[in-house]
Amino acid sequence: MWIPVAGLPLQLRLSALAGAGRFCILGSGAAMRKHLPARNRRGLADSSPQLLPEPDFRNPPRKASRSSLDFKRYVTDRRLATTLAQIVCGKPNRPPHLLLECNPGPGILTEALLEAGATVVALESDKTFIPHLESLGKNLDGKLRVIHCDFFRIDPRSGGAIKPPAMSSEGLFKNLGVEEVPWTAGVPLKVFGMFPSRGEKRALWKLAYDLYSCSSIYKFGRIEINMFIGEKEFQKLMADPRNRGLYYVLSVVWQVACEIKVLHMEPWSSFDVYTRSGRLENTKRKEVLELLQQNLYLIQMTPRRNLFANSLTPMNYNIFFHLLKHCFGKRSATVIDHLRSLTPLDAADILMQIGKKEDEKVVNMYPEDFKRLFETIESSEDCTYKWLYDDTLEDV
Amino acid sequence: MSVLCWGRGAAGLRRALQPCGCPGLLAKEGILGGVCGPRRSSSASPQEQDQDRRKDWGHVELLEVLQARVRQLQAESVSEVVVNRVDVARLPERGSGDGGPQPPRKVQRGATGASPVPRSGWAQRLEKDKRIQRMHMQQLEVNLQMQVQSQSEELKVWPKHLQVEPRLLSKQLAVFLAPESSWEEQLPRVLQEAPRKLRLAVGRAPSTQAQLSGQQQKLLAFFKCCLLTDHLPLAHHLLVTHHSQQRKQKLLTLDMYNTVMLGWARQGAFRELVYVLLMVKDAGLTPDLLSYAAILQCMGRRGQDAGTIERCLKQMSQEGLKLQALFTAVPLSAEEQATVLKAVHKVKPTFSLPPRPPPAVNTSKLLRAVYAKDGPVSYPKLHLPLKTLQSLFEKQLCVELASKVCVVSVEKPALPSKEVTHARKTLQTLRDHWEKALCRVLQETKNHLEVEVHKGRFSLYPFLCLLDEREVVQMLLQVLQALPAQGESFTTLARELSARTFSRHVVQRQRLSGQVQALETYYRKYLHLLASDTKVPNPCLPRQYWEALGAPEALREQPWPLPVQMELGKQLAEMLVQATRMPSSLDNRHGSSRLVPVLYHVYSFRNVQQIGILKPHPAYVQLLETAAEPTLTFEAVDVPMLCPPLPWTSPHTGAFLLSPTKLMRTVEGATQHQELLETCPPTALHGALDALTQLGNCAWRVNGRVLDLVLQLFQAKGCPKLGVPAPASEAPQPAEAHVPQSAAPARKAELRRELARCQKVAREMHSLRAEALYRLSLAQHLRGRVFWLPHNMDFRGRTYPCPPHFNHLGSDVARALLEFAQGRPLGPHGLDWLKIHLVNLTGFKKREPLRKRLAFAEEVMDDILDSADQPMTGRKWWMGAEEPWQTLACCMEVANAVRCSDPAAYVSHLPVHQDGSCNGLQHYAALGRDSVGAASVNLEPSDVPQDVYSGVAAQVEVFRRQDAQRGTRVAQMLEGFITRKVVKQTVMTVVYGVTRYGGRLQIEKRLRELTDFPQEFVWEASHYLVRQVFKSLQEMFSGTRAIQHWLTESARLISHMGSVVEWVTPLGIPIIQPYRLEHKVKQVRGGIQSITYTHNGDISQKPNTRKQKNGFPPNFIHSLDSSHMMLTALHCYRKGLTFVSVHDCYWTHAADVAVMNQVCREQFVRLHSEPILEDLSRFLVSRFCPNPTPRKISQCWEASQLKETLQAVPKPGAFDLERVKHSTYFFS
Repeated sequence: MWIPVAGLPLQLRLSALAGAGRFCILGSGAAMRKHLPARNRRGLADSSPQLLPEPDFRNPPRKASRSSLDFKRYVTDRRLATTLAQIVCGKPNRPPHLLLECNPGPGILTEALLEAGATVVALESDKTFIPHLESLGKNLDGKLRVIHCDFFRIDPRSGGAIKPPAMSSEGLFKNLGVEEVPWTAGVPLKVFGMFPSRGEKRALWKLAYDLYSCSSIYKFGRIEINMFIGEKEFQKLMADPRNRGLYYVLSVVWQVACEIKVLHMEPWSSFDVYTRSGRLENTKRKEVLELLQQNLYLIQMTPRRNLFANSLTPMNYNIFFHLLKHCFGKRSATVIDHLRSLTPLDAADILMQIGKKEDEKVVNMYPEDFKRLFETIESSEDCTYKWLYDDTLEDV
Repeated sequence: MSVLCWGRGAAGLRRALQPCGCPGLLAKEGILGGVCGPRRSSSASPQEQDQDRRKDWGHVELLEVLQARVRQLQAESVSEVVVNRVDVARLPERGSGDGGPQPPRKVQRGATGASPVPRSGWAQRLEKDKRIQRMHMQQLEVNLQMQVQSQSEELKVWPKHLQVEPRLLSKQLAVFLAPESSWEEQLPRVLQEAPRKLRLAVGRAPSTQAQLSGQQQKLLAFFKCCLLTDHLPLAHHLLVTHHSQQRKQKLLTLDMYNTVMLGWARQGAFRELVYVLLMVKDAGLTPDLLSYAAILQCMGRRGQDAGTIERCLKQMSQEGLKLQALFTAVPLSAEEQATVLKAVHKVKPTFSLPPRPPPAVNTSKLLRAVYAKDGPVSYPKLHLPLKTLQSLFEKQLCVELASKVCVVSVEKPALPSKEVTHARKTLQTLRDHWEKALCRVLQETKNHLEVEVHKGRFSLYPFLCLLDEREVVQMLLQVLQALPAQGESFTTLARELSARTFSRHVVQRQRLSGQVQALETYYRKYLHLLASDTKVPNPCLPRQYWEALGAPEALREQPWPLPVQMELGKQLAEMLVQATRMPSSLDNRHGSSRLVPVLYHVYSFRNVQQIGILKPHPAYVQLLETAAEPTLTFEAVDVPMLCPPLPWTSPHTGAFLLSPTKLMRTVEGATQHQELLETCPPTALHGALDALTQLGNCAWRVNGRVLDLVLQLFQAKGCPKLGVPAPASEAPQPAEAHVPQSAAPARKAELRRELARCQKVAREMHSLRAEALYRLSLAQHLRGRVFWLPHNMDFRGRTYPCPPHFNHLGSDVARALLEFAQGRPLGPHGLDWLKIHLVNLTGFKKREPLRKRLAFAEEVMDDILDSADQPMTGRKWWMGAEEPWQTLACCMEVANAVRCSDPAAYVSHLPVHQDGSCNGLQHYAALGRDSVGAASVNLEPSDVPQDVYSGVAAQVEVFRRQDAQRGTRVAQMLEGFITRKVVKQTVMTVVYGVTRYGGRLQIEKRLRELTDFPQEFVWEASHYLVRQVFKSLQEMFSGTRAIQHWLTESARLISHMGSVVEWVTPLGIPIIQPYRLEHKVKQVRGGIQSITYTHNGDISQKPNTRKQKNGFPPNFIHSLDSSHMMLTALHCYRKGLTFVSVHDCYWTHAADVAVMNQVCREQFVRLHSEPILEDLSRFLVSRFCPNPTPRKISQCWEASQLKETLQAVPKPGAFDLERVKHSTYFFS
């Protein structure tokens, strides 16, 4: 996918053109330190030294990224962009949703989306792209807004001061004029983006906590998320007892919470990969090569309208999470064994109520079974103490 | 032969009785064993023809059967059986011998043989059982005859006998197993045999316990424990089974063989002793001193003829072992020594014990004055007469024998409502149930574990036999009662349980072995030194006096290795979980409800970690709360002592009378400190031992008036402002307790967050409250009594009181509750010191000279008197003080004194404090002889106290102004914000190794507190400031920084060479920094959960360079400040003062402050007049610079660099140390 980079800011263009041996100058990681300097020095000697991108010293990155696998991927192919725009915007006759695009980067997809008639808010975490993105929306009278923001660091769970590109959802949505809608109402807005190549799992967990607790972005309603996700994590996310090797806590959490649809599949190689220093072209590193052979899946995750219809609520979701973590902590065990550490109620009786046998294994339970199990215990009437859980058992 | 059959049949019976696992299978197995026993045993080894022995073993087995049955009957009727209990593990006495000192027995021995079983109720039932069982067996015998052949493999699972005879790998040695002559004759011949296989010495000679593998540690502990619990045949069995398998034999070390040999020697069992010796030789090991000690002991007991003994001794000297060393290097009890001596005397009638070395005296230069025989000495005496002290001793002895103390809780008693009585009754019923259930489970577990040993595997069986079953059960119930509502981590609980078992075992052992009586005798004599109405001819230090009394040093019980501790704790915790059950609904009085467990094993998820937690059923927690039981139970060692502590005489004896206490507190499982202390010359520790003894000898009492006031607040709603925590019921409540089911999810989410917040606050309040409850309850318990706080030290020599909840190290409230039990008249200047102390406590006049503080006290005398008279209703002046409760206590003392007709004669009990001002920097400044620095930390005499924080702030301000003029934006921003407060914490902690990173965080916190500082600049400003603070310190304390750097660099290089940093304090205490790379051990598998723990004691681990290097400077300074404190303490003691300390804060009576101040300054000068850094450098070079230089080039370079660095001691400045003697504010 090699496209003209006319619209790119100076710094990026330079690095993109710099040629072989130039990847990963800033993206240093512990694993890279040993062999990379040599490569770099050689690379510098070959190409003209003045082409080095000027690192931005005014705003030094607070935390150096841990690994050189910390890539950003951008859609740079126009045809792909058009396809995606069609998928995401849906049928043309519907009133278009407000669309949050995460990390649009060079803005190829943004253009396509705008052409498809969507109203786009571009949340870009990399400041260097912002001037270019802003230039895209010049004549569109407000159909495009660009904000310096990292979608995955909205309302960080660690607490503390929030500095851009981290943001508070309250401020962001107020700024955009998005109103809170009840859970049972329709989808208030859509998000399009890609999970960060590293930490897909972390991002999924954060979103899951936000979703179940109706906080952060989900405070505003059932926000639909369209994201590209790596093959491995995708398979795990969609796994169930039929595919028990990959079945784990997040599979249950997400399948219970959302309807998950696969919208599109695209090989890694269709995207441009940028490290911190710029575009990644060819590499000999094994991990990277392996990654490049995988596919990315565009999935749509729409929170279920009836998620909180029964006794699972934002009040007790953490117990549900604890139940799942407990069960998958020893997944080969029977459910009844786990229940005995989770609730003082009669475990056999509960299993009978949900129509499961006493020797049911954890990995044989479908996501909805877990939800039913939880709700059965939660709504059992005759007992004051339903759970052994308390907040001290969790560090969130 | 009938006995033999009987034994077999009964063996089957016993197995059938095993009440564990799947009973059906076991019963079958057992009977099979019974049926085809003869065939198997004859095939096992041809030596079994030895009729005599067979009988014995059958006998033993029979006894075991009886015991198993007795246990079962016991469970049914506990009371009936206590009188007659069949004690089994002991072999029938054989041969002559005086029987020797049998290890202590817990119960009176009933029947040793089979026949004279008393005809009590249970015995009859036993008889009947046996009859029935035999009939069943005969029937089964017929049925099973067919199947026997096919199932013979199965039998291998179940070895019939405890093995006695070893299977030797060496044919030559095996000849000895069938002796032509008596066993006694055999012995010297066996000794002369050369070890069979030459093993690599490297793999076989682990010198310390820490070098053994986990499995080996467990085995060794097993053998030792078997000796203690009279399970020697079991130990022998395990040794033999291990020896006969090649793979397992590798685990055995000489220590293990020696242990079993010693056991046989104590019983005078010659044949078994020879067996073990054969195995030693067979394993390719050479007997050492311990082995010879055992052999000679055995011969001493048997009255062996001189010839054999002579041959043994000859062999011994041929192997280069000295006879003298038998009596000096081998830990033997007095009786054992006598027996060995008896044997030796037969050959060498003239041999006499090596003379006891005369008490050595510490010769260190610093301590010379302390131990000088001449010169004025007036050691203090306690204020109590001998009679009182003796009765106090009785009380403390009772407490420690019981291992626990019940204390009335000061929580407001619950009104005796119907609910409460019902709850208490329910609880009592439940506990009764649990007690029975625990008893049963304990017995089952023991039986099961015993079987494990029979199968030749290590098990915890002997460890569970250490304590009386009831005691174990009581201990478990006690732990259950104290379990917090949110649960306790499984590992912590396991550790706690095994620690409690160990300390109870040690106490029990002393009781049974008659050590308590000996202690009583010596302690009564010792009290003559301390009592007010007795005189001793040569006044000396308590330790010297105790040593002169000639008390035999009690044999010390080694703490169990960590793997055993964890496994035992785990086993106990599992039993607790297994046994305790309660009805699912407690309100249901019909009792028909389902039984549910009381304890649940749940997991907590912290990041990637998964932590097992034992959590009590919420209904049980609720029940406990409703019952609001009025007593708290403490372990004996958690409560202050009721009599003066034992003087410290060695690294492991001192402090509590019976409970084991370590001289140096360390992390669990770290043995290196203890080893270091054991191996250093005993005199080197004298300074520390005497200082700790002296600190512990200070008698305390509770300040009743203050306690009344605190209790009044505590039982009302608390007062967090004054440090009296409020009950959790005062915690904030969420605005809305319930939301309707139909509420919007977002609303619910909000409520949940609020709820979680409230719960968190409530939990924190609860833990604070519990802490205060313990403290105040103990204070109330001790009200009106005199008590003592025994001390020990951490690995740097800093001293701490042992009882954790109530001591003078605690918060303001805790300190205010304590006063000296012994009073002293104020004397001419005492009142002034009291007043100054009062002003110091308020914190109002920190930077004023003493006379101004005094003047201020006069000025506010009205307020002081008002505070003293009506603390809660008056003007409450004291509440505004920095340390309100101590201020109040002092106000009362001052009021009493001034109202006295003659204040100088007023007897004051209040401790007056003298605080070092930034003590760490004082030591640094003295080390580096920094003139500027010394002046700013009050080493230099001055009219007003200097304040180093203000000094640093001023210096920072100078730099800031320069930068601001140069146009640095941050510097301009910070104008007017640089105060003492902003820099204080950083300056204070710099001494203790705070880094720039940590310093920046501290300053950031301070800046955030400033409301008018533009918050967006906080990061930049803190970054700037921390650099300036470090720069200023560098400027003011140039020597300090150089020393710090030198220490850090030395530690880094030492650590790089692969060693951990060690040094010796000026007083001679050896110190080792324990930081090593953590080594995770996944140890105990199976059961509820497997336990993983980090093991810090493993000396094979590499050092943690970062911790070694960051820790060295502060630890070294701490070792200096502790030396200073100990020197001051010892000299004050010599002058007859009462002295205690909280690290760098020294306490004494008001009348003695002047003397203490003088001593404190003199000793500081003395300490720093020593070439401390040069000594350190010399020590480090000799310890860590390899000699000769290593072969590898890289190492060579590192070594030379290390040597160079170590020898480059920073040059001191020009400060004249003597001036400290005249500095008023050095300690003030």
